[in-house]
Amino acid sequence: MGAYWGLTTLDLLGKLDALDSNEVIQWIMKCQHESGGFAGNIGHDPHLLYTLSAVQVLALFDKLNVLDADKVANYISGLQNEDGSFSGDEWGEVDSRFSYLAICCLSILHRLDKMNVEKAVNYIASCKNVDGGFGCTPGGESHAGQIFCCVGALAITGSLHHVDKDLLGWWLCERQVKSGGLNGRPEKLPDVCYSWWVLSSLIMIDRVHWINKDKLVKFILNCQDTENGGISDRPEDAVDVFHTYFGVAGLSLLEYPGLKAIDPAHALPVDVVNRIFFQK
Amino acid sequence: MREESMISKGNSLNLLDEFELILESDPLIDEVGFIHPSQFVTLNKEATSSLKHEDANFWSRDHKLAISTDVLLPLYKAAKDAFMHAISQYKRHGNLSDASGYASNLESEAMKHSKALLLLSCDFGTAWNFRKLIVSKKQKIMLFLDELLLSALVLSNSPKSEKAWCHRRWVIKMIAGKCSTLQDIAGKESELVEKIAERSKMNYRAWNHRCWLVSYMTTEQVLHELKKSRNWAGLHVADNSCFHYRTRLMLRIMEEHCHKLEDGTSDENNEIYQIWQEELDWNEALIKRYVGREALWLHRRFLSLSWIRHFTTTLGDTSNYRACKSSINGDISIFHG
Repeated sequence: MGAYWGLTTLDLLGKLDALDSNEVIQWIMKCQHESGGFAGNIGHDPHLLYTLSAVQVLALFDKLNVLDADKVANYISGLQNEDGSFSGDEWGEVDSRFSYLAICCLSILHRLDKMNVEKAVNYIASCKNVDGGFGCTPGGESHAGQIFCCVGALAITGSLHHVDKDLLGWWLCERQVKSGGLNGRPEKLPDVCYSWWVLSSLIMIDRVHWINKDKLVKFILNCQDTENGGISDRPEDAVDVFHTYFGVAGLSLLEYPGLKAIDPAHALPVDVVNRIFFQK
Repeated sequence: MREESMISKGNSLNLLDEFELILESDPLIDEVGFIHPSQFVTLNKEATSSLKHEDANFWSRDHKLAISTDVLLPLYKAAKDAFMHAISQYKRHGNLSDASGYASNLESEAMKHSKALLLLSCDFGTAWNFRKLIVSKKQKIMLFLDELLLSALVLSNSPKSEKAWCHRRWVIKMIAGKCSTLQDIAGKESELVEKIAERSKMNYRAWNHRCWLVSYMTTEQVLHELKKSRNWAGLHVADNSCFHYRTRLMLRIMEEHCHKLEDGTSDENNEIYQIWQEELDWNEALIKRYVGREALWLHRRFLSLSWIRHFTTTLGDTSNYRACKSSINGDISIFHG
């Protein structure tokens, strides 16, 4: 996953060639398990999380052809449960995030037909709360990260009619605090990573004009360590690759100059997404 | 250079041996923490029983274990290498017949290293998975319960560890059909979440686990939880998760109530009406006491919405509810005031 964050950030900055793509691809392919799923590193166990990251990184490098797409798709569709939900791996933990991972990954691989989309969508809809947001499982508390996953999955499958856009938009825009930053849940401190999760959700449901974009841009820029370049969760904190990705991706969604545009549902640069879906 | 790195590798292995020995010698350790070595002295002053173990790297007493921050990195590397080596050996030879004792030896080595590793790196999924594999092969209740102890120990130091919470859910699902004490477990789990939530505020993972437990609870337990969590919520008005937990409990009560209405096993709304009325009054008192708290207002949004949906739309279809409904219709003015 770290590789995905770092490499997508580089691509948004137009600097993907800073790394040796062959080396990265060789390493990724060594993380593939015989089941078709990918692990976070060599010798570890496979999980949907790392499978999507691996596929996304290969998409960035335009190297999806090194994959046996059917094998990966079989691994993913094998994790779908009777009620439409997805387990993250063979051990059976269920979470609406895993539904997003499966849907996004199969979409990139042009293999959505390998799963039961209708059931998957109904399961996600069952995770909706009275506040318009979504939780991990039915009845789970709304959380901006979960909301991104559920809205993203519904967007990819053309099922956004399950979202109450005004109600959810209201909950999401209430995430903006005085400093301009966004939090992920009520009463929490703002954090750069929510610039991605809240903002991309607002864009997908067409309510992004309900927050103050200029103040958010300023907040993200204030979180950059101008000496070593990275971005942190909040101003003055230590930087890391995770928050750097979410800061840059957030700025990209805010159309900050000098950055490539990013697709809010697939979390990949728009030119990469276009290459996947419009050039065959 | 080479000699130096050999020596440091040797030291790390001694460090891991020492750590694993401490863990084995006291299986009742219930709390672990990473602290600066200078704090060991302070710990000694506070402790009540005799010292179990102390040197520059570890401190253990009263079933509490402290690990010096100075040794964390070499200790983690040694534990990771030992575990990864052990599971690759296990995968290669573990399927041999147990008669030789070789396989079971490999297995216990890997289990020992996985425990050390998880206490140092709480979200090491491959190590949690290995434990699931071994425990599910043996199918002994005691071993499943040991996994609850280990994950609780990990949570004592890493209360937000998603993998540790997930491991508990897996264990509970595994013993759900076999163990008559499931309701006890659900009750104890709920207490564990409350204990952890006290030290780790607004912990989404912990509260999510508590919400998940609700489906394993009896109706009495749900009502008891609603009563019990009220005091906690009143003292933590900024913690939205606890209010969401109450939402979950109330919706479960509402769900069961609606089933009863449909079956015709109950024809009155009084109990549910009273629960909602009490929650609204209590919420109003909190809102007046703590001005401008988002979680309180969001909870009120839920209460009023569900009130309007249930008492003003589902009622009135049957004559039985009319008396109840008319009194409620009068009360709806509380939202306009």
